[in-house]
Amino acid sequence: MRTSTGWRWLAILLAGLALVAAGCGGSDDEAAVDETTATDTTGTAGGGQAAEQEITVNWGAEPPSLDPGLASDTTSGNILLNIMDPLVKLGDDLEPVPSLAESWETSEDGKTVTFKLRDDGKWTNGDPVIAKDFEYSWKRTVSPELAADYAYQFYGIVGAQEYNGCKKQCDALRDKMGVKAVDKTTLQVKLTTAQPWFVQQAAHHSFLAVHRPTVEKYKAKWTEAKNIVTNGPFKLQRWEHNANIDIVKNEKWRDADSVTLTRVNGRIITDGTTAVQAFEAGEIDVNPNLPTEEIPTIKETPEYAQYTGLGTYYYGVNVKNITDVNQRRAMSLAINRREIIDNVAQADQLPTTGFTPKGMPGFETLNPDSPWQPENGDLEQAKQLMAKAKNPKKTITLLLNDSPGHREIAVAIQAAWKQLGLTVKIKQQEWAQFLEFIGPPPDKSVDVYRLGWIGDYVDAINFLELWTCKSGNNSTNYCDKSYDALVEKARRTEDNDARYELYGQLEQKLGGQDGAMPILPIYWYTYTEQERSTIKDTYERNLLDQVDLTKVEVEEES
Amino acid sequence: MTKFVVRRLVWTVPVILLVILMTFVMMRLIKGNPFRTSERAIPAEIQQNLERKFKLDRPWYVQYANYVKGVATFDLGPSLVLRNRDVNDIVKEHFPKSLELGALSFLFAFVFGIPLGVLAALRANSPLDYGSMFFSNVGFAVPSFLVATLLIYVFSLKLDVGFPTSGWDSWESKVLPTIALGLGPMAYFARLVRGTMLETLQQDYIRTAKAKGLRWGRVITLHVLRNSLIPVVTAAGPILGFLITGSFVIEQIFAIPGIGRYYVTAVTSRDYSVVMGLTVLLSVIVIFANLIVDILYGILDPRTRDART
Repeated sequence: MRTSTGWRWLAILLAGLALVAAGCGGSDDEAAVDETTATDTTGTAGGGQAAEQEITVNWGAEPPSLDPGLASDTTSGNILLNIMDPLVKLGDDLEPVPSLAESWETSEDGKTVTFKLRDDGKWTNGDPVIAKDFEYSWKRTVSPELAADYAYQFYGIVGAQEYNGCKKQCDALRDKMGVKAVDKTTLQVKLTTAQPWFVQQAAHHSFLAVHRPTVEKYKAKWTEAKNIVTNGPFKLQRWEHNANIDIVKNEKWRDADSVTLTRVNGRIITDGTTAVQAFEAGEIDVNPNLPTEEIPTIKETPEYAQYTGLGTYYYGVNVKNITDVNQRRAMSLAINRREIIDNVAQADQLPTTGFTPKGMPGFETLNPDSPWQPENGDLEQAKQLMAKAKNPKKTITLLLNDSPGHREIAVAIQAAWKQLGLTVKIKQQEWAQFLEFIGPPPDKSVDVYRLGWIGDYVDAINFLELWTCKSGNNSTNYCDKSYDALVEKARRTEDNDARYELYGQLEQKLGGQDGAMPILPIYWYTYTEQERSTIKDTYERNLLDQVDLTKVEVEEES
Repeated sequence: MTKFVVRRLVWTVPVILLVILMTFVMMRLIKGNPFRTSERAIPAEIQQNLERKFKLDRPWYVQYANYVKGVATFDLGPSLVLRNRDVNDIVKEHFPKSLELGALSFLFAFVFGIPLGVLAALRANSPLDYGSMFFSNVGFAVPSFLVATLLIYVFSLKLDVGFPTSGWDSWESKVLPTIALGLGPMAYFARLVRGTMLETLQQDYIRTAKAKGLRWGRVITLHVLRNSLIPVVTAAGPILGFLITGSFVIEQIFAIPGIGRYYVTAVTSRDYSVVMGLTVLLSVIVIFANLIVDILYGILDPRTRDART
């Protein structure tokens, strides 16, 4: 009796094995995979609106926090900007457009910005959204007790930095901070200097308001789905950590009529391969996590979408180790950016011609069109310059973090630099250790390091201030007082065109004809994504990697 | 027996204290700032605020003492990276999922592995033996992430049989991860049982039992299997511990919100309190798994019982 049951088990197991083996045979035939997925999903949208306005997205990662004060990453920011109502949103050209603030005024000297709020903003519990909510929220974010990472976003406001760094008599410093609700719908902000980008900056999720009674009642737990009170076009319905975040349309939102989607189911799938499989199986409609090695295949499908990002991938050079500018120029010239993009990075990134990325307002004026960054490299000129370098550093330690993709790029650059007679040792470290090593100041052993920079807000100052002497993000040891003076001057220049001119001078100092080349920019980022054809027309990511879900519509499949 | 269990339980206290101390020292020795999660540098004021908030500005021995106090009162502290969550929340919400996955896989391994081994031993050197041992060799040698990927490819993408590619909610979503994680231990059990059964079958007392005229089925279950299970039980403790704690890869591939993923990401992001909390939790699990094994030994083999009391 027992043995016959055993036999049955064995039979089941063997059948399972046979199925797995059958799967193995099929996987050799890559084309077959594409065909099946293509027939499943290529149906192009028919134009009419689908009856069911519901989508399932992969958020990409677990948001570390949904508290606007504490969130410091794009996933959190993206969800927040859809469940909360910002004062201003960014328009198609990244210009500020009214949202909860119906208008704003900047004083003559540029140091006072007054937002006029709409009077029909509502929290999900029915309370009106008033200017006081913003005053409370901003001061809360700056408070030393909250210890927010992004408190520095507010340092441009009078008294914010002092309050954030205070050790005693903090209440007095809080009251001195330059943000004030004049009445229910008027919010006045006093800035330390004229900051023409401040209104755009207010579109960042750090500047969202929180609901005071809820925050005070639930403390750190106020962001859980059962506690949270929000004021945006969508409401947080479910947050199962590391698994699901579902948001539904907020029917009581002031402009609910303009929102088509009724529900966005959100999965959290961090693994790229899993996410692609979930997309192919039809479990999700949007997937932003594409593994580099699969991009060439996915690119051929109609669901592939690609957006320009406001970010720069670059190598920083420790100028105390590689002292001769000719060597740094030669190293930059030797890099074939086009080849790296086409064969290694593979997501149609843009080859750099300066540090500040394309898409930034004023790009045409400020871009230096660097002679040291030709798209296809210039090995001949590089060799000539290298020959001119005094005390060249022949053995170079290149430091990378161990995320996927960086090593492959480094190997390509290693090969290019070898032709200049340089021996490159690639050293990879895991992220936290890597950050400790590059400082600033960088560890003495570091000659070149890899990093990226993604803009928080849309003004080139956000990129160019990195290379000032005291910048916490400048690990190159590059320090030029005239550069710092120009940055200060730009900060005080309110006129856009005049400021872009100054940014142009800064770019020249970095990568222009006489530029010092403390950094070797490689490419400007793109964001890649899989999007179901039924939403592809309306699902858009802006330069800051944000998706405005109020604009998304599900079309009928034809 | 009771004395033995009590003594073992008392011993867990210094073991856990030592585990906390070692984890504490190791986490401090590897460089890294838990508050700097991106390339953005943190202004000095903000770094100070964060250190004050999470009490990292105190001397190390005060931090250690605070931590031990926390563990004693079952308060594992706040996460340094996931700013709205406590380690207790993380354990409460995610550990049951890992436990479920581990237990299901263990059950799968046990239920399929042992009969497979028994069958192979009873029909030693027959095609059945070769077939099942080939199967278990493959199961043992192929890493779980490959099995997982294959299972998803075949059952979720190629055959539309209703198993989703990822997630952990419906019973369908639990099938593939359970098999992927349980296949290795299953193969291991099968080989172990086969080996020891073959050895047991040669023993004199089996021949005696047969000679006495006992039914073959009874000889197998009562004498052969019971005596062959001791090495299986020895292996089962650590395997159960491993299945519950070491399922990181499977959790990642199937997007299961278990504790394994937190453990790994906490180490890379230097989330001290999460690393400490989970290490303590996992140590307790391993200690208890071993304790249960020792108790089972006593039941299966009375000789070991006497030796220890």
